[in-house]
Amino acid sequence: MSRPEHARPRPLLGHLIGLLIVAAAAHALTVWALPRVIMAEVLRVTRVEGSANADGVLRPPPADHTARRIVMPSPDLLYATCSLDVRDRPAQITANINYQRYWSIALYADNSDNFMVRNDREHGARALRWLIVGKDARYPIPAPRDVEIIEAPGTKVLLLMRMLLPEDSADRAGAEAARDSLRCR
Amino acid sequence: MSRSRLAALYALAVILGIVTAWLWLTKVGPSGVDAGVWRVNLLAGSTSADAYTRARIALGALLALDRRETLYYIARSDERGESLRADCRYRLSGPAPAARWWSVTAYDEDFFLFENAARRYSVNGDTAPRDPQGQIVFEVGPESVTAKPPDLPTQGAGALLLTLRLYNPALSLQRDPGSLAAPRIDVVGSCP
Repeated sequence: MSRPEHARPRPLLGHLIGLLIVAAAAHALTVWALPRVIMAEVLRVTRVEGSANADGVLRPPPADHTARRIVMPSPDLLYATCSLDVRDRPAQITANINYQRYWSIALYADNSDNFMVRNDREHGARALRWLIVGKDARYPIPAPRDVEIIEAPGTKVLLLMRMLLPEDSADRAGAEAARDSLRCR
Repeated sequence: MSRSRLAALYALAVILGIVTAWLWLTKVGPSGVDAGVWRVNLLAGSTSADAYTRARIALGALLALDRRETLYYIARSDERGESLRADCRYRLSGPAPAARWWSVTAYDEDFFLFENAARRYSVNGDTAPRDPQGQIVFEVGPESVTAKPPDLPTQGAGALLLTLRLYNPALSLQRDPGSLAAPRIDVVGSCP
């Protein structure tokens, strides 16, 4: 009595093709997931540690050999970070940066893409007022005239402020004061 | 073939996929443009980065900025083509890069800063020693190789990675990062 068609053992070639497809899928998934997993952890840690401050901002000390969180940290910059969730409401970002040397504020998507950056020369001396909204947001978006609305490509955003850290201690105090003005709500 | 053996083979295929991805991301050099012994990835921080670039950047230079804001040149070998090592002394020399501000940072093979008592982690546009012609000249390496202390100290005997960051690079460099007259990296004395 012959076996029914569906019960026949799969030929060797079929298994080989199946194994190759599974290996290729695992390879592609690893490459795709890696930046997202790393960013998810950075966002989580920043949210947890930033939530200890009323303004939601994490202000780490200047990077030295003990800094082990972000690879290749720059020892020449002072950083401030915020973890933003814009799924259910927009995030308000404000800062009054009166600092004569280089600074920038960059926004990163949850896949690690830098989708927006603004530096001191582009922004000028005016107060910084941003409203960051999620992609296809369904909540009402207020639009006061002095506020710039920025649409994120997703719902999770990491904000990273960089300020050039000078050797001179007076300039250093200026950099820290400018950094302290950042608010993420 | 038994079901259990088949399941083991498919599990092995998953592991193979993960391991090849990891090796490809960590062992195969990133694509990019060369300027001397330095290589710059033009898609670092870019929203148009491919999946491999994005994963490599996440592993080795997370939260990079795009080339308009910052160019990141990385050197892993000297002018002879030998891999940079933390137990060798190197002299970096050349013209100051055309950028609003620049710095060279030394990283250990784990991509973090070298411990050193002097807390000197980078040489930058403000601090770089210059020769009488205005060229930047400084040394990277362990303390003990020569009597002269290094400008940028290293430790251990593992791989050394140098990163040259150009903040707000000149427009000509943004358009053609390979045109940078990048600092030479020459070994000083003998390398054990």
